[in-house]
Amino acid sequence: MRLASPSDVGEFRGRFKWYALAVVVTFAVVIGRLFDLQVIEADRYREEARENIIRRVSLPAARGVVEDANGKVLASNRAAWNVAVVPGRVLPSGRPPHRVGRYEVDTWASIADALRLTPAERDTWAVKLRDACKTDEDHSACWRSVMVREDAPRDVVAELRQHPQEYQGVEVIESSVRTYPFGSLTAHLMGYVGEIDAETLVKHRPEGYGELPLDEQRKLNPLGYEPGDTVGVVGLERAWEAMLRGQRGWIKRIVDARGRYRTEPAYQSLLEEPSRQDPIAGRNLRLSIDVDLQRSTKDAMAKQLAGAVVAMEVRTGRILALYSKPEFDPNEVSGAQGRARLREAFGRLRTDPLNPLLDKTTTGAFPPGSTFKPFAALAGLEEDAFRPEKNEVCNQFVFYGKRRFKCTHMHGVVNLRSAIAQSCNIYFFKLAEAVGIDRFARLGQLFGFGERTGLAINPESPGRMPTRAYYTNLFRGSYKIGFSLNTAIGQGAMTTTPVQLAAAYAALGNGGTLYVPQVVRSVVSSDGELLQEFNPRVRRTIPLKPQNLARILDGLKQVVDSTHGTAHALRDPALPVAGKTGTAQVGYAAHPGDDPKWAWYYSRDDAWFAALYPSQAPELALVVLVEHGASGPAVAAPIAFQILHDYAQFNAKRRGSVH
Amino acid sequence: MARGLRPLRRIVPARDHFDWPLFLGIAALCVVGAVNLYSATSAAKLALQELYVQQVYWLVVGGIVAGILASVDYRLFEKWAWPSYGVGLVLLVLVFVLGRDIRGSSRWLSLGPLSIQPSETMKIALILALAKHLHNVHAVERRGLRDLAFPALIAAVPAALVIKQPDLGTGLILSLIFASMTLLLAVPGGLILRIVGTIVGCSWAVWELDLLKDYQRARIDAFLNPEQNILGANWHAHHARVAIGNGGVTGWGFMRGTQNQFHFLPDQFTDFPFPVLAEDWGFAGACVLVTIYAFLVLRAIDIAYRARDRFGAALATGVGALFFWHAVFNLGMVTGLLPVVGVTLPLFSYGGSSVVTDLVGVGFLMSVSSHRQS
Repeated sequence: MRLASPSDVGEFRGRFKWYALAVVVTFAVVIGRLFDLQVIEADRYREEARENIIRRVSLPAARGVVEDANGKVLASNRAAWNVAVVPGRVLPSGRPPHRVGRYEVDTWASIADALRLTPAERDTWAVKLRDACKTDEDHSACWRSVMVREDAPRDVVAELRQHPQEYQGVEVIESSVRTYPFGSLTAHLMGYVGEIDAETLVKHRPEGYGELPLDEQRKLNPLGYEPGDTVGVVGLERAWEAMLRGQRGWIKRIVDARGRYRTEPAYQSLLEEPSRQDPIAGRNLRLSIDVDLQRSTKDAMAKQLAGAVVAMEVRTGRILALYSKPEFDPNEVSGAQGRARLREAFGRLRTDPLNPLLDKTTTGAFPPGSTFKPFAALAGLEEDAFRPEKNEVCNQFVFYGKRRFKCTHMHGVVNLRSAIAQSCNIYFFKLAEAVGIDRFARLGQLFGFGERTGLAINPESPGRMPTRAYYTNLFRGSYKIGFSLNTAIGQGAMTTTPVQLAAAYAALGNGGTLYVPQVVRSVVSSDGELLQEFNPRVRRTIPLKPQNLARILDGLKQVVDSTHGTAHALRDPALPVAGKTGTAQVGYAAHPGDDPKWAWYYSRDDAWFAALYPSQAPELALVVLVEHGASGPAVAAPIAFQILHDYAQFNAKRRGSVH
Repeated sequence: MARGLRPLRRIVPARDHFDWPLFLGIAALCVVGAVNLYSATSAAKLALQELYVQQVYWLVVGGIVAGILASVDYRLFEKWAWPSYGVGLVLLVLVFVLGRDIRGSSRWLSLGPLSIQPSETMKIALILALAKHLHNVHAVERRGLRDLAFPALIAAVPAALVIKQPDLGTGLILSLIFASMTLLLAVPGGLILRIVGTIVGCSWAVWELDLLKDYQRARIDAFLNPEQNILGANWHAHHARVAIGNGGVTGWGFMRGTQNQFHFLPDQFTDFPFPVLAEDWGFAGACVLVTIYAFLVLRAIDIAYRARDRFGAALATGVGALFFWHAVFNLGMVTGLLPVVGVTLPLFSYGGSSVVTDLVGVGFLMSVSSHRQS
């Protein structure tokens, strides 16, 4: 061996052992690090890996069922199936070609067939699905499922489920949809549900909500709202949301990084107990509403464009029928038939000049017209401000200063009894001179005018019971006698809601007890156990002299019974009705955008009939309002009689079936 | 037949010189690698599930090439050094002209149905060229810094081209192969300290003068602050680390590791196959694999130590360095010891070019080992 030869390694031999040492040390460091990760810190990483794949999926609670007084279902839930597809799986041909597996085939065509899509729908969807797969990286839109059909028919769902191979990439998502079996009949009463709006959500789940401790979360969000939740939007659905809603449950599921549920049994042991909490169904409501009576109000109102009907039990304040016209279909606006349908429906309802979304029984306030006269008279009697036997002469006109006030007819000689029966304005003008506006207001307020009734289904208008102070304030100090006169006949600034008027008439009928109108009789648990029963709630007992009240009730009977009574034409000896007609002038001022062709309609008088049945010992107070119906006696009264006729029949039938 | 075979006999090594330990180590690595790749891709989409088959094809092809190379006397390779270096450079330049752009860098060259990665083949060409050069330099006493200029140039040209692709990881590996070979065989002791000082200075300059691409800088930043920004640049490294820790001492079992099976490991078949193994087989399995790599590198050093001449020693050192640096960077990256630079794990990561390159290197080692006695 020659030293210093170019091929000699000898001179460097000493370095090899350093190399070997460096290698050993380096790999030892790696093993040390592995020991750290896999032995010392293993629990921490194992926990993190476990958290990566376990997701708590929340289980929706079934919303409470609502029934009428006889157990007929007004609102419940039904199962619905939504169909979604994963773009990358139904249209693999849309993905970058070198990433598509040999066995992947397009299934979109057969899925579209099964869903019975029109050629146009099919094409727009195909374009959307292909667009989603421009890249097919994990977490890209290509692997996120897209809803293609909401509330698919049962047979379509069965077909999709039966042939999973043929329909690769389809997901059928079960959901629950609120349904209202009586549809528009209970529209304003039941209201409807919808997806929770962003504002409410932020109120209950402010920023950083997720990091708060559990009891703080519960305080902020007692009903457990989550994005995408269904909530009551108006009507009973909203007012009784807390009862109807129920409580969400949850289930722990194993989920991979692509958001797919995995069911391999090997991993299920990772779900530590408890792995599931069942949802608690919402509570059921039992209403005082009688849906049969509700239907007869709707039938009776069939020929009218707009109005409201309230039927209230005189001795309890419970409401048997609550109807506002025009209605809407709550099934449509609850989104059960798809978002497109929902948007279309709201667009239509919002622009309808007759305002179908407004609940006219409580949200709308209208001049009561002559239906207020009994209260005006009662105010005078209670204050001893006039003598009811005294006659007045009605010449159809009367002058106060230079202003001429008129009556409907020349009634001749009238006293209190015939003035109520014939609705003579002149008599009430004279009465108003003697009594004055503030006495009307004092008694009117006792009967609930100008004050919310507390029905609490939809936003309630308080109406207005004007006083001298009100007018003085409005007209800067100048008070005119005309204000008193107008108040006596329910005109001028005075307004009321149909529910308010019904409660006031019920108080006339029961001797002066004003009840809080009630719709919900009881709350029942989902297994039928009675949880809470609501007794009638008295708002106040009005101190009245019985003989005064008797005079008024006698007047109301004369409206039907006397030959000159405004509703005499409808008299039926088998149907003893007492009541009062009203034809209230409306001050119509055209709004910009109003259709001038409808001006005649909007300037027509509102037609009222407020009834007590049976007239001897009243059980039911009924208020019928036909907006712009032109005449109380000719339009509203026949409707009231028809409803009362049905009511009497239902009662007879029920009594018959009991015996 | 017998007459025809006689000339071959001369170059077929005597059977008792066949390096069985090296062969068994490599064979074990290949088998474990392919099996692990099967596990790594088992949860993936259909297109990826066929990857391990391809890998087996490449292992077979590479194995045949290695077998041929092992039977040839390595001194023959000296003649191929410059031609292969030249071809390697040409291919690297061609990448810029014809390369396919994948995820922001062009590393691939299409040759008919095949796609090759010239940066991989360049590693072997560089080892050959450096070995050839080091074989012929004069004795150590008179060597100075100036004598490193030429080998540095040989290494710097391909390294610069690769970094330009940009493929920082491979550029780094090329530089480290150069450093390992020259430090062992060409540099006097006193110079080593000066060189180390210079390297530290240069790295500082590169960082300060902003010569790195944004994503490279982000990776180093991410490395320096590993617990921040888990969803950003640290996403890969973080999930790899979770997978390793999730394996625990004994692992979840074959094809059971949850991080992999539930798709939390990105690039589980190229840059991150080790976490799959560590998750399936735990600390026990991971130690076995690390030991195999350590054994192979030590075996290469041993072969270099006992090599017949400087060319053989340089060749073995170069191949050893190739395996060492790849393994260290990949394992360091997945365990969070080193920044995320896309460096594959030899014979473990998926990739035809790297598998064949690694096996060619193994062929060289076997040849040097078998032909140490003339």
